[in-house]
Amino acid sequence: MTQSKLQPAVHLGKRNTKIILHNALIAFLCFVWIIPIVWLVCTSFSAYPGKNTSTFFPEEWSAIHYVKLLTPDTVNQFPTWFMNTFKIACWTCVISTLFVLMVAYAMSVMRFPARKGLMNLAVLLNLFPGMLSMIAVYFTLKTFGLTNSHIGLILVYSASSGLGYLIAKGFFDTVPRSLCEAARLDGCNEAMIFWKIVLPTSKPIIVYTVISSFLVPWMDFVYAKMILNAGISANYTVAVGLYKMLEKSLINTYFTQFCCGGVLVSIPISILFFIMQKFYVEGVTNGAVKG
Amino acid sequence: MEEKSNGFARIGSAFSGFLAGIVQFFSEFGTALAGGDAFVKLSLIWWGAGHFRRKQYVKALLMTLLEVGIILFTFNFAMSYVPKFGTLGTVQAEQVFNIQTMQSEWNDYDNSFMILLFSLFSFVVWAASVVVCMRNVVNAYRLQMEAQQGHHINSFVEDVREYLDKKFHITLLTLPTLGIVIFTLIPMLLLILVAFTNYDQQHMPPTNLFTWVGFSNFVSLFGGGITSTFGYAFVRVLGWTIVWSFFATLTTYFGGILMSLLLNSKLTRCTRLWRTMLVVTIAVPQFVSLLLMRNFFANTGIMNTICANIGLTDFLRKIGLISTSYIPFLSAPIWAHVMIILINIWVGIPYQMLIATGVLMNLPTDQLESARMDGANPFQVFKSITMPYMLQVTGPALVTDFVKNFNNFNVIYLLTQDVYVTTNQFMANSQAKEVDLLVTWLFTLTQDYYNYKMASVIGIMVFVVCAIFTLIGFNFMIRGDKEGTYQ
Repeated sequence: MTQSKLQPAVHLGKRNTKIILHNALIAFLCFVWIIPIVWLVCTSFSAYPGKNTSTFFPEEWSAIHYVKLLTPDTVNQFPTWFMNTFKIACWTCVISTLFVLMVAYAMSVMRFPARKGLMNLAVLLNLFPGMLSMIAVYFTLKTFGLTNSHIGLILVYSASSGLGYLIAKGFFDTVPRSLCEAARLDGCNEAMIFWKIVLPTSKPIIVYTVISSFLVPWMDFVYAKMILNAGISANYTVAVGLYKMLEKSLINTYFTQFCCGGVLVSIPISILFFIMQKFYVEGVTNGAVKG
Repeated sequence: MEEKSNGFARIGSAFSGFLAGIVQFFSEFGTALAGGDAFVKLSLIWWGAGHFRRKQYVKALLMTLLEVGIILFTFNFAMSYVPKFGTLGTVQAEQVFNIQTMQSEWNDYDNSFMILLFSLFSFVVWAASVVVCMRNVVNAYRLQMEAQQGHHINSFVEDVREYLDKKFHITLLTLPTLGIVIFTLIPMLLLILVAFTNYDQQHMPPTNLFTWVGFSNFVSLFGGGITSTFGYAFVRVLGWTIVWSFFATLTTYFGGILMSLLLNSKLTRCTRLWRTMLVVTIAVPQFVSLLLMRNFFANTGIMNTICANIGLTDFLRKIGLISTSYIPFLSAPIWAHVMIILINIWVGIPYQMLIATGVLMNLPTDQLESARMDGANPFQVFKSITMPYMLQVTGPALVTDFVKNFNNFNVIYLLTQDVYVTTNQFMANSQAKEVDLLVTWLFTLTQDYYNYKMASVIGIMVFVVCAIFTLIGFNFMIRGDKEGTYQ
């Protein structure tokens, strides 16, 4: 900036065109990226229930489908789906957060003989994509009568979450060891150090873990579809319910309601995502560097 | 502090680390058994013996109860499944007319799946109890040594207190480990076992039995025979899966870096606004945005209307690229392949942009300055400073991204399910589509066709392929690391 002030006027003009072109390019790209979202929001305010195929913007504007979406009928039970997902998300969030923080603390702060071995094992297990064992998980749940139940879904989301401890461990690694040592000298045991020293100094990573595990049930589609397969609409999560709205026989009556549902779900998720954003970057790069 | 090894360099040593750990475990057990007194040796049979001898009565009682529990488990539960493991059951489910009650009743039939699952479960429990038993002997020996040297022997309360202090890691890790064993480890082993059975629609428990068939599922995937269409489909699906993972990973990776450089350039005005616009697209759940895309690009969708209005559809028909009255964005081969990769660029670049921005913030600025002083143009700076730095930091993540894309269920399933119908008879025979990834094919096989045996075989193949790619990736990354340190 300071340099450009010293430069002659001709250069300044050249620089301005450069800035305009540069920003025009970015504006164009962002425009392309945002089109589907704009379409989603616009269509949700259409007065026509089915798919609008002739014009980009709806021909007639109305908020009637938001009202329809919030009044349940045989197919659409959006308020129930929303509460189901919320309930599942809360439980998943509690269990996952506890598991992740527990494993991360054990691996980061404590030293015990099996530590290296367990960490290696976790790296190997992480190589197996979760998708692959899903058939077997499904049958295990079915044997115990946990399919088509929210408990089964919560277990699927949270039981193995301990494997995703690396990001939190990377954070715990940065908590000064001297603090823990001082606490130990004062007669604290490990459990007290965990509760009173490490957790209070690790608020950012707790926020990250809480939000990211809370988002899992909102974002997931596969497991929910697989486990809630009995077709009981009142059991669905938002993802499965909205997917069903787009079945061939229903799409012409429910497409606009699907868009409304999409908008309503996206608002809270977006807010959480924006809060989490800065930790997200740190987490991914930390995880990659430290392994 | 943690040494700075990347996750991948560690994998190489993972196997050797394991072996060393196992050897140490057995040698400790050997020493304990050889050097221990009668009570230590008795601990093998009566788990409480060693603790009892050292007056740890509560612990002795607990160990005894655990042992009794495992014995009860073995005889009351495991023994009704494990003996049938060899055949997976022989008694077919039948309705028998009971003269006494004058009703049809089910006979006492075998359920092959239960036998398989519970046998596996029993094996895991037994393996765990063997480990506990051996550890117990080692502990009894340690107690003996402490007693001989006149050290203090912990009381029960002191032992419990240790689980909040020196042994706090055991308290912390027990539940998460249990979760991982039940929801990751056992399913994985079960999947491997099912691949060697004939578990499919004709052999569905509880009404039918299934049994071991050896390698015949693998043969039908790779060899000829009547089911050779599976081999045909497998090669094609695998081919597309690899092509897809390659393009999906590279396009979003480099796209993300370029986008981040563009946004963080000094020329950019209102960076936050642009960034927010991009991030909004990933904050919307994929099942919303992708299902929307699929309707946007449907045969009768808005994009086709626009293309028809501006005459693009007619033009394409004239030059022979399409033969239909619409552009089959997601419903014809090649078109769908290209569109899926393009849509994935839309999905993936904002993520990669966020990551690249975070990484590039730490880019050493002195290097950039000196390069600029030397008169390097932006492209040279990008090639010789930015990219090497990016690769060094996110290189390992590139390998994981490849594997993730290899199993990227959401993008493919949400975009093509119910939209893309294959016209290739051989593909259709094995329930595959040209746009399927191995995982979506596996999903269809299990969800719609109950073909669990082939799905399991495909699952194993996916793991093998992923493991191979990851290992190649490690080697590549490890070599890159060493070069970095020598320079």
